[in-house]
Amino acid sequence: MAHARPIATTRSATGIPTPRLAIWWIVASEVVIFGGLLGVYLMHRIGHPEWAEAASHTQTWLGAINTFVLLTSSFTAVLAHQAAEKGKGKEAAKLLGFTILGAMMFLMIKSYEWYGEIAAGYTITANTFWSFYYTAAGLHALHVIAGAIIMGFIAVDAYRGRELHRVEIIGIYWHFVDVVWIFLFPLLYIAK
Amino acid sequence: MSENNDGHDDGHHVNYRGIYIALLILFLISVAGPEIGERMGLPWLTLVTAFGIAIVKARLVINNFMHLAWEKRIMKWVLATSVILMFLMVAGVSPDVMNHEGNNWENLAAKEAVQRGLAEAAGYSNEEGEAAEEAEVVVAAGFSAATSYGQICATCHGAEGAGDGIAGAGLDPAPANFTDLAFWNDPIRTDNVRERVLTVIRDGGPAIGASALMAPWGALYTDDQLEEMVDFVLSFRPNP
Amino acid sequence: MADTVADVHQHEAHGHGDHHHDQSWLEKYVFSTDHKIIGMQYMFTGMFMAVIGGYMAYVFRMQLAFPGISVPGFGQVSPGEYNALITNHGTIMIFWVAMPVLIAAFGNFLIPLMIGADDMVFPRINRLSFQIFFLSSIVLLVSLFVEGGGFGGAWTSYPPLSANGDYNQTQLGASLWLIAVALEFVAFLLGGINFITTLMNSRAPGMKAYDIPLVCWMIVIASILFMLSVGPLLAGAVMLLFDQTLGTGFYDPARGGDPILWQHLFWFFGHPEVYVVLLPAIGITVEVMATFARKKIFGYKMVLYTAVATGVLSFFVWAHHQFIAGIDPRMANVFTITTLLISVPIAEMLFVMIATLYGGSIRLTTPMLWALAFMAEFLIGGVTGIFLGASGADIYFHDTYFVLAHFHYTFFPIAIIGSFCAFTYWFPKMFGKMMNDTLGKIHFWGTVIPFNFIFIPLFVLGMGGQHRRIYNFQHFPQIAGPEYFQLREIATIALLVMLAFQLVFFYNIIMSWMRGEKAGKNPWKANTLEWTTESPAPHGNWPVDELPTVYRGPYEYGHPDREEDYWPQNLPG
Repeated sequence: MAHARPIATTRSATGIPTPRLAIWWIVASEVVIFGGLLGVYLMHRIGHPEWAEAASHTQTWLGAINTFVLLTSSFTAVLAHQAAEKGKGKEAAKLLGFTILGAMMFLMIKSYEWYGEIAAGYTITANTFWSFYYTAAGLHALHVIAGAIIMGFIAVDAYRGRELHRVEIIGIYWHFVDVVWIFLFPLLYIAK
Repeated sequence: MSENNDGHDDGHHVNYRGIYIALLILFLISVAGPEIGERMGLPWLTLVTAFGIAIVKARLVINNFMHLAWEKRIMKWVLATSVILMFLMVAGVSPDVMNHEGNNWENLAAKEAVQRGLAEAAGYSNEEGEAAEEAEVVVAAGFSAATSYGQICATCHGAEGAGDGIAGAGLDPAPANFTDLAFWNDPIRTDNVRERVLTVIRDGGPAIGASALMAPWGALYTDDQLEEMVDFVLSFRPNP
Repeated sequence: MADTVADVHQHEAHGHGDHHHDQSWLEKYVFSTDHKIIGMQYMFTGMFMAVIGGYMAYVFRMQLAFPGISVPGFGQVSPGEYNALITNHGTIMIFWVAMPVLIAAFGNFLIPLMIGADDMVFPRINRLSFQIFFLSSIVLLVSLFVEGGGFGGAWTSYPPLSANGDYNQTQLGASLWLIAVALEFVAFLLGGINFITTLMNSRAPGMKAYDIPLVCWMIVIASILFMLSVGPLLAGAVMLLFDQTLGTGFYDPARGGDPILWQHLFWFFGHPEVYVVLLPAIGITVEVMATFARKKIFGYKMVLYTAVATGVLSFFVWAHHQFIAGIDPRMANVFTITTLLISVPIAEMLFVMIATLYGGSIRLTTPMLWALAFMAEFLIGGVTGIFLGASGADIYFHDTYFVLAHFHYTFFPIAIIGSFCAFTYWFPKMFGKMMNDTLGKIHFWGTVIPFNFIFIPLFVLGMGGQHRRIYNFQHFPQIAGPEYFQLREIATIALLVMLAFQLVFFYNIIMSWMRGEKAGKNPWKANTLEWTTESPAPHGNWPVDELPTVYRGPYEYGHPDREEDYWPQNLPG
């Protein structure tokens, strides 16, 4: 064990291990951040029928590919958790590596997509639809970046067979990021 | 540390591959459904396939990948509470933000933005005219420069244009006194007075280097109405 | 990273107890992961910010009572400076004084000690939380001195005034202000999750849900409220920041946005926020009352349930801040009803306090005086809230000094009286010395009496129609008469008196810390677990093999079967 911890950490009065308990609370706090933003977007969208025109310029196919990429990365993350549960640190690290690869692909496709849109004149100030589009997707992309970086640290630890329980924790966070995208995709791309 | 093992109420042997394949199939439906719905003109198909399936997918991920289905009940309650709160927020906020009119109020600026947006959109598909006309009607209804002046300008500039409105008393610099010749002789508005006054009403004081306490009002009026407002303000100007 | 608690324990257990003396001063007091040190860091940062906030109040009260004078220690106040002063006074007092002191400082200090744990479950996240908070305080202070001056759009920061640099003329100040507030929220999210998980998971063996001291419950319920309400505002703050810096139109109706949206997002957080700081203050008061009335709390579960009920209801009342903002009038009815409803659980808690005092053997120590003052003053704040919660009356009162006085009658008891109550009560545990009781009482009366002289005149002025946010009342003949100015002068002079008496407090801290008598483990003969360890408690709180086990609830005072009138939670049998 690299760092000794306070005894408080090892207690579990609820029966849920502390790290998992904490990540659930973090997810709950993220639910209200994204929920607030998406709720606000939704009511504006319904109140402004004219945004349909702007929304028709989003690139559905790129969004769809990104959905596929994130779903797959979620799948590898849960496989990593399964491997970690069996104590196979190296395999878990490899699968986390695939997940990070998915995150990078997601970000690359996203950059390509944004590049095209900005070049076509649909910048963040073009219209409030586009403001919401960039803010919501950007906030989500920030979570993808943060998740990928943390996952990198955990993968290195897991490769050495340390802190294997953390694979599950980052997995829960990653699946949450995936779930956010599952809702962002129809909201921003499909509903014209 | 012991928490690696003891916390896991193991025994949830999920068929992850099966779940993944199910997710992919749902994903294909969620892309294909709206495409079909759009071509066939079935908006409900878009809604069901886009959002209904998103909920199903999210449920699959949350229950099986995040293992919420095997988690203690308290965490389910916490997450459910946070989602319910968001519905509460939307319910409380949407009457103001989503609607643009109610029993005895209406949000003119928002309505105008919608009309303008629709007119632009119509312009792209060469069907201009109708919506744009509507936009004019919404704003033009019952416009009079004198009434608008009384409602908006007079609070600071005073009913008689003397810069003595109630709300303007505490402002520094003080609101312009239109009945004062010195105001009209100020170098920033000597040449092309009309243009300068129009700019200030439309874009606010800073647009010509005057006080920023003069706010821009361009969003509220059409160009013709702004011209009428300028005429009204110029009517306060004393003869030199 | 050898500074975690178990390291120390392990070394001590193996007879290498001297190892932790290697820690440098920086490691021990600046980059510490010890929850008590982090609590102190929050406390002293909060105190420092309180001094700045108090100084701001002094400057603008002088301007209001004696318009145009050169304020000693500041100079002449310009309108822009006046706006920046009131804005930042409000921001600082709520986000940088009430929150860090009541929740972060006492939450950090008390929760592990009171539940018999050796530290927080995430000590390093705890440290990160303070560091982000500290950074946010620096950003806020810097925002006061940038080009154009500090942000002056009121602590509620309503757009379009806050969204457009052309309107508020403090482009940079407004953005820095917003960034500081957002950073501060992130710090409290991290801290809050730490409190919640610590309380849920790390209780001492034997401590069941109803054995947890109420103040811990209250701080954790408050953290949950904060966490669930702040999300939409964080999203809204990002949107406002984009409006300010990139020129988007989220809050501009002409471009498809809505300025009312910000008000909703702000108050969806802002109203639960009132209860976020109120609940810990009530918890502290209840704790102190039980100890000094030597009596079991009347209705422990009732307080707990009403706290939860308050928390739930607090999410249903936010729009009562917006009755005249142009919200849908149909909603105003709904929010009036819920607002009047929420006074029921709060009244219930006050009745519980009275019932606890009834028949107790009351000792009027300094903390007890603060606790009683909290009850009395908060009652006035609560009752005047009923006027404002009714939408009909609010149309007249809105944006007058009546609102301001009501608000200060709730927040002053919460943030100042509550904090002093807790500080004087737990001072022996924090520093190992007793506080001077005479000086404490002088400070108490010197604070509470002037407080009433400040704000009762403001009630009267508000009823007389005095609007908030006015820089110089001389411009308004209707409210510039001598009778109005006399009331303003009374308020300002009372403020000066109150500020002067705070010197007694600081003198008392320093003198008691240096020369006070030793406190011993349990100077108040109280039951809760923090009194079973040394004062001040060492890193790790208890020696590793003496971590307490809990056998009963926290308020077993005056039990008939015992000779002693108190019965500590950790005594078997």
